[in-house]
Amino acid sequence: MSKNVKPSFSKALFSGVLLDELVFPYPEMDKEEKENFELMRESFKKFAQDKIDSEKIDKEAQIPQEIIDEMKELGLFGMIIPEEYDGFGFSTTAYVKMLEAVTEQDPSVALTLGAHQSIGLKALLMFGTEEQKKKYLPKLATGEMIAAYCLTEPGAGSDAAGIKTRAVRDEKKGVYVLNGSKIWITNGGIADFFTVFAKEPIADTKGDEHDKISAFIVTRDMPGVSSGKEEDKLGIKGSSTTEVFFDNVEVPFENLLGQRGKGFKVAMEVLNSGRLGLAGGTLGGIRKVLKDAMDHITQREQFRKKLAEFELIKKKVSQIAVDMFAAESMIYLTTAMIDRGDVDYSLESAMCKIKATEVGWESINECLQMVGGLGYMNEYPFQRALRDVRINPIFEGTNEILRLFIALAGMQERGEYLKKIGGALKDPIKGFGLLTDYATEWVVNRVTTERIRDVHPSLTKAKADFENWAKNLHFAAERVLIHYGKNIIYREMVSERLANAAIDLYGMIATISRVDTLIKKKGEEKCQREIQLCNAFAEQAWRRIRRNLLMTDKNIDKDLKEIAEFMTEEKQYPFETE
Amino acid sequence: MNIAVCVKQVPDTETRIKLTDDHKAVNEDDINFILNPYDEFAVEEALQLKEKNDGEVTIISLGPDRVTSAIRSALAMGADKAIHIKAEQHPADPAVTAEALAAVLKEGNYDLILLGKQAIDDDHTQMASLLAEELDLPAVTVVIKLDIEGDKITAEREIDGAHEVVECSLPAIIAAQRGLNEPRYASLKGIMRAKKIQIEAKEMSLADGQLEIVEFNYPPQKSAGKIVGDSADAVPELLRLLHEEAKVI
Ligand SMILES: Cc1cc2nc3c(=O)[nH]c(=O)nc-3n(C[C@H](O)[C@H](O)[C@H](O)COP(=O)(O)OP(=O)(O)OC[C@H]3O[C@@H](n4cnc5c(N)ncnc54)[C@H](O)[C@@H]3O)c2cc1C
Repeated sequence: MSKNVKPSFSKALFSGVLLDELVFPYPEMDKEEKENFELMRESFKKFAQDKIDSEKIDKEAQIPQEIIDEMKELGLFGMIIPEEYDGFGFSTTAYVKMLEAVTEQDPSVALTLGAHQSIGLKALLMFGTEEQKKKYLPKLATGEMIAAYCLTEPGAGSDAAGIKTRAVRDEKKGVYVLNGSKIWITNGGIADFFTVFAKEPIADTKGDEHDKISAFIVTRDMPGVSSGKEEDKLGIKGSSTTEVFFDNVEVPFENLLGQRGKGFKVAMEVLNSGRLGLAGGTLGGIRKVLKDAMDHITQREQFRKKLAEFELIKKKVSQIAVDMFAAESMIYLTTAMIDRGDVDYSLESAMCKIKATEVGWESINECLQMVGGLGYMNEYPFQRALRDVRINPIFEGTNEILRLFIALAGMQERGEYLKKIGGALKDPIKGFGLLTDYATEWVVNRVTTERIRDVHPSLTKAKADFENWAKNLHFAAERVLIHYGKNIIYREMVSERLANAAIDLYGMIATISRVDTLIKKKGEEKCQREIQLCNAFAEQAWRRIRRNLLMTDKNIDKDLKEIAEFMTEEKQYPFETE
Repeated sequence: MNIAVCVKQVPDTETRIKLTDDHKAVNEDDINFILNPYDEFAVEEALQLKEKNDGEVTIISLGPDRVTSAIRSALAMGADKAIHIKAEQHPADPAVTAEALAAVLKEGNYDLILLGKQAIDDDHTQMASLLAEELDLPAVTVVIKLDIEGDKITAEREIDGAHEVVECSLPAIIAAQRGLNEPRYASLKGIMRAKKIQIEAKEMSLADGQLEIVEFNYPPQKSAGKIVGDSADAVPELLRLLHEEAKVI
């Protein structure tokens, strides 16, 4: 097995192999780091409660400079930077938990920190040379420099490979000359350090030139760098979002990040790991709103009862708990995979992003519904939370694109094995801009397994359901591949269902592992609530999986597509009652 | 200046307190513990004095193992040393705690002893006075402003409807009130620095004490709010209710 081939729990899942050693036991934070993290969380909470006024930040669409400055003092811009470069060396787990805590106080503030560390400086951290790291990381750690990630362009959003920004080598001067513009760049107005993706012509072995993407470090002080006006947005208004222009910017050769022509891989790997910050942050956003909603429903009475006593309100509250529990279990299982460094986590990170951002939107929407008309009033924070959380399913890979990626990357492994269509699947996955290392060899050597290790008796039903539906996902994926062959890339509705099933399965195994591990530590008696949450999620999940898998065969996709095509022609809703 | 700050770990103010089944204690299972907020003012004052006059700040805390995290919070703010007096739990009788703290304080030869005016869990508000007795030192409580010139301390105290200014000389005990300063927030740098400081653990046999906790009870449920009116006409009635029913004014 080549050394860059890493096992992937979810890819193996599609192939009918249950790599349970990757998900059991549920990971725990290192004790010393946990203490550090908890002290920092406590300190930040105090700071935020004293100083951060989210309503004002939203109204003025700006985070006050004093807040940014004080956060620099607190060290919050250097959390994930190793100590040798003057940062604090947080693990991904601790970092994501911190973003969760920051989002709970203010999503705009969290996004500013997140865009800096999750994506802005991540490429330097992952692919930078020692000189580059020494030069920039210490300044990024103190916040003397703030970072931004510049990929999206007017003509290239989801189809990121279509970027037009150009880099032309000037061998005499030893610089790349950069021209183009990037839109909707978070921290665009305040950043001094930009990770920029641009195309340069690179000759192949035959000497023919092809445009390939390379990544560059660009700094604010280089002539020709400028940012546009601040965008007027629906939410996360305090975070800076601007266009960034590059007008004949001379970037020294030594500022090339990673290899020439390999920039696309850089861009994607950064997002793969960066997505967890967004997922974790979303949880923090729900936490805050839920507290406000709980205060209200335990006080307000209608029909001489507290709102919290009505069954339909209970249904909402419990659903939020079940969904948060599952999303949280998935997220911190995955951050630990990132931290251990020897697992392919690309699918899991996409799953966490999808799950958390959708749970975020639904939960906050339900919180608003629970408090009724009050939730609609600008005087109360519910509407702001809903506006703030709405961006999450859109950026860092839209949830649609990520679902297609999960399904195709999952099936690709099987496709390679079936020796027919694996190669064909590679192209669209690349097109989605989501490269992955293949773990085929890893799986081929394993026999299909239908069982995972034994778990605590209180979870056996959930475990059996997981095993059963994992097997069914594998069969469904196989049927789909045989049925559609290469054309699966055009059957997005089918792919989406497979992705949904895989996400639910990962949620099931993450909660089972978490609760099983917890019972081992604390005893069943003390885990009653967690057992209930795990089992509730499993019951809901397998029913969704069944529905999704049944519908890979039997569905009304054809009708739906025809309706959509008709609507597209009409460009409006053309019906009216007689 | 050699300064000691006595701190206590207490449940977070946002914690919902649950009692043990026999109502003899608070159930600690899901409690988030923090550094007593009044002690933060004491730590901050100590740090400011150190920054002005040089010297060293030592944190002293008595309690079970978990209190080390409160000690770490204080160290993370910038204190230099720490002593943890090990005890299975916080004694019910503050005099027992005072005796143990005094024994450690005596060894340290401190110029100034700072602490919070009260701990927000048991609210005894006795520690400064008890320590004064044990150590035979002056104690100034509820301090909102502190000036030290040479050996002379000028302290402003908050009293009902007025501020009282008192003077005494070092060494002395000062109990901090909210308003004394604005405590700094622990930074990641401070936290990492604090990690490297060894907390000195002291085993000590504690006296039995004369107080015993017989029972804890939950406070009575708050009754629902009442709207008295929506214009100035309602003010007299509101005042009457606040005075006679709610008994808050
Ligand atoms: C507030 C904000 C901050 C941002 N910050 C940054 C940043 O810091 N750096 C950066 O580089 N970018 C940033 N972006 C850009 C963001 O990543 C893109 O908006 C996102 O990738 C989607 O691209 P798009 O908006 O062009 O949508 P499009 O790609 O045009 O997509 C529109 C819709 O079509 C769907 N769609 C597209 N292709 C397919 C397909 N093949 N199959 C099915 N559905 C499809 C999408 O899912 C989406 O629903 C930011 C955007 C916003 C709004």
